[in-house]
Amino acid sequence: MRIRFWGVRGSFPVPGPTTNRYGGNTSCVQVCPDDGTILIIDAGTGIRKLGQELMAGPCGRGQGTVHLLISHTHWDHIQGIPFFAPLYVKGNRINIYARQRDVHLKTVFASQNEDPYFPVNLDEVAAEVSYTALYEGQAFTAGGARVRCARLNHPFIAIGYRVDADGGSLAYISDTAPFERILFGHEFMATRPDLDAPTPAGDAEKLRAMRQDVVELCRDADLVIFDTMFRMPEYLARPHWGHSSPEHALELAAEAGARCLALFHHAPDRGDDEVDSDLEAARAAPGACQVLAAREGLVLQIRPGGCVQGGDD
Amino acid sequence: MEITFWGVRGSIPSPGPEFNRYGGNTPCVSVRTKRGSLVILDAGTGITVLGRSLMGSEFGNGAGQATLLLTHAHWDHIQGFPFFAPVFIPGNTFTIYGSSESPTMVEGILEGQMDPHFSPVHSLRNLGARIEVLAAQDGVSFDVGDLHITGRINPHGRYSALAYRLEEGDRSLVYAPDAGYPDGAPAPAVQEMYRGASILIHDCTYTPEDQDARRSRGQSSIADAARIAASCSVTTLVMFHYDQDYTDDQVDALRDRCRAILDAEPGGKDIKLVAAAEGLTLEL
Repeated sequence: MRIRFWGVRGSFPVPGPTTNRYGGNTSCVQVCPDDGTILIIDAGTGIRKLGQELMAGPCGRGQGTVHLLISHTHWDHIQGIPFFAPLYVKGNRINIYARQRDVHLKTVFASQNEDPYFPVNLDEVAAEVSYTALYEGQAFTAGGARVRCARLNHPFIAIGYRVDADGGSLAYISDTAPFERILFGHEFMATRPDLDAPTPAGDAEKLRAMRQDVVELCRDADLVIFDTMFRMPEYLARPHWGHSSPEHALELAAEAGARCLALFHHAPDRGDDEVDSDLEAARAAPGACQVLAAREGLVLQIRPGGCVQGGDD
Repeated sequence: MEITFWGVRGSIPSPGPEFNRYGGNTPCVSVRTKRGSLVILDAGTGITVLGRSLMGSEFGNGAGQATLLLTHAHWDHIQGFPFFAPVFIPGNTFTIYGSSESPTMVEGILEGQMDPHFSPVHSLRNLGARIEVLAAQDGVSFDVGDLHITGRINPHGRYSALAYRLEEGDRSLVYAPDAGYPDGAPAPAVQEMYRGASILIHDCTYTPEDQDARRSRGQSSIADAARIAASCSVTTLVMFHYDQDYTDDQVDALRDRCRAILDAEPGGKDIKLVAAAEGLTLEL
């Protein structure tokens, strides 16, 4: 199995000279099992160029099947969908998976692709689009990959994924706050909660269970891709925004026995040099597994026992 | 007035080194008048960069006031708004004009963008700043500080987009970022609004060849822009809203070609041509 990063940024795309090396596109990761299954996690702006590349294969001939796993529907994870070229080719099948909502997923996705926001309605695209509403903990098969999901700790609720194929495994844990102190749900949190206040007992129990599920999702994974948008002082200033720091990711990856950690969902104002120094700091942490910082174009070969860089453009 | 470009790209932001010179952010232009009024044209991702720079001014301590004019609600013209730092500072005041028959419709569009499925902000009501939303209607003028402003509707694919004319004394700026003229020329009332503008910022999304292949998208080519600039006798034409795939070198070529087309138009040789780039400031 091979994976390739097409967008590694959180919140919104950030073009400009300070993001040239790591890239300014929002979240999108391609997972390529050896059998040619087309599996994509999240549809930030990075999916546009991936779509262009896929047009050279079966998707260009209307014979493609795409499995698109969505972590949650915040803009930076779906805003590339209307620019995904295979949607506009008759014969392609686009299977979109996301956590169940209180309205049909189709309604949620359609509402970004219609007047007045976008000129083409999702209903009118040539490809056949299907929606699968997932429950937390659900396991399913997508082409040649086995997939499992678990709830993450993020406003309006996100899910993380584990993909197993060809004897290798990866987990995609984005977006999430650490699994402590604050339990995120559907409520809007206007101000920073007091982090020293005791966590309500019910919330603490749910957070423990959620953390355990995520640890299991990452168990012995060859690669864990983790939301590390915040540096620790930023997390402490904005714990109610629902993101983690490299320290949180390292701790969870170590507990799960993960072999490699990819820092991901870089903050929009984090320049390339700052990502370099965050990476250096994470690698120097005591007990750290192999650590890398996700960047656009990075290709990783995932094999049982770890992952190696290679073949990127 | 002082005009600064923060985002000049159409459709979707284009990150990458091949877009560094002109910039990859989606549309946002700021206009500062002589007496200090601030008007912002569109809220593409360029507005996030403007927002960071404003935080060092009165907007950082909640004493800022600005007017935001939206041409239409396609994503590339509103997607930066939830990340525009000054809207989170209590005390700042923003008046937003959008293309619609009523303020409720414009507010509904912005509320839809903040819906909790899509945005952690959940609702416009959670922004710290005071936000007033108003409808800008075809041909109806209004004043913002010392600026006299008029909006006119252009066809834009199967949707429409406003173009705005901003006048300060005898100086005038027209902003028309998304316009596809099915008849090859703007409607008479729109031409009247463009006429004699000191600066016309006009949709230059495509080469004529690319436009032919994507006619339904309702965008102008450099040839449309050059012809209109000449027939409306503007002083300066500013190319804007480049296709997301055009690299810096391609935009250079677009500018040279647009210059040549302008030169062939009656009166075109007298028109100054500028290719908009992030960070560029024009004094008017």
